[in-house]
Amino acid sequence: MERFVLMNSGPTPPRPAGHHMRRNPPIAGEEEAIGKAREGDARAFETLYAMHKRRVYSLCLRMLGNVAEAEDLTQEAFLQLYRKIGTFRGDSAFSTWLHRLAVNVVLMHLRRKGLPQVSLEETLEPSQDDGPRKDIGARDLTLAGSIDRVTLERAIENLPPGYRLVFVLHDVEGYEHNEIAEMLDCSIGNSKSQLHKARMKLRDLLHSGQRKEQIA
Amino acid sequence: MTVLYAMSKTMTCAEFQDALPELFESHADVNAQEHLRSCENCTALVRDLEYIASQAKLLLPMHDPSPAVWEHIRQAIGQTPGEAQEHGGPQAGRK
Repeated sequence: MERFVLMNSGPTPPRPAGHHMRRNPPIAGEEEAIGKAREGDARAFETLYAMHKRRVYSLCLRMLGNVAEAEDLTQEAFLQLYRKIGTFRGDSAFSTWLHRLAVNVVLMHLRRKGLPQVSLEETLEPSQDDGPRKDIGARDLTLAGSIDRVTLERAIENLPPGYRLVFVLHDVEGYEHNEIAEMLDCSIGNSKSQLHKARMKLRDLLHSGQRKEQIA
Repeated sequence: MTVLYAMSKTMTCAEFQDALPELFESHADVNAQEHLRSCENCTALVRDLEYIASQAKLLLPMHDPSPAVWEHIRQAIGQTPGEAQEHGGPQAGRK
């Protein structure tokens, strides 16, 4: 299945201004830089790189957990941007469009590596057997106030790639489900479902870590 | 959300947890659900999931890529070093 690799060239319905992202407001000077970069202005492309390198790199690093690979894929994503920026039509926010491009680069890389743990098809396709495990039994630990940044980052690294991707895009990067659905070429319902599964899995991972610490 | 609230009065834990994704995405006050008044386990679950989501929002920003990344990009697209230096290069956005 190639749906997560190929860029969707179909039309995207326009959305009201300001509806693009919760935490991704328009960047001053971005529109002008896009316009000039589309015309081949290398300096404007530099400006776009400076504006977006951190978020693209962060996405790559969280998905791969390896600095060298994350830098390679950041480079590849921006080279693709350079080649494809002429096709950006402004139907969606530029950062969403760029993230989609970066996501595809990451997914292609993960696929080449053989995808650890679970295939993307399994994690991004809804399945009746794939729902979050019910939490019926009592727990004697609570997470609130007990998780530091490093612990959470480590738990995120241990999520299956499909879960990790949706969790990072939504809960960390602040993208809305409609934007994630657009990036991953999946339904909004699928994005919501994967996010919930990711949070449930993270909870399991974090509780497991707590129990191990208590035993130690 | 009235429907979900009304439904929750007779929900089992399994039914409540099945409905949780939609409850969270509806931006309703999940903690006001009737089921949680009598279920410590689901209350703890909701508290944990909300905590995870809130902590995740604190993870940005991370680090920048090394300057070598831009250097490789610059070479690949054939831009001269002078152009990058003249305009501050990609480092302009660094903290």
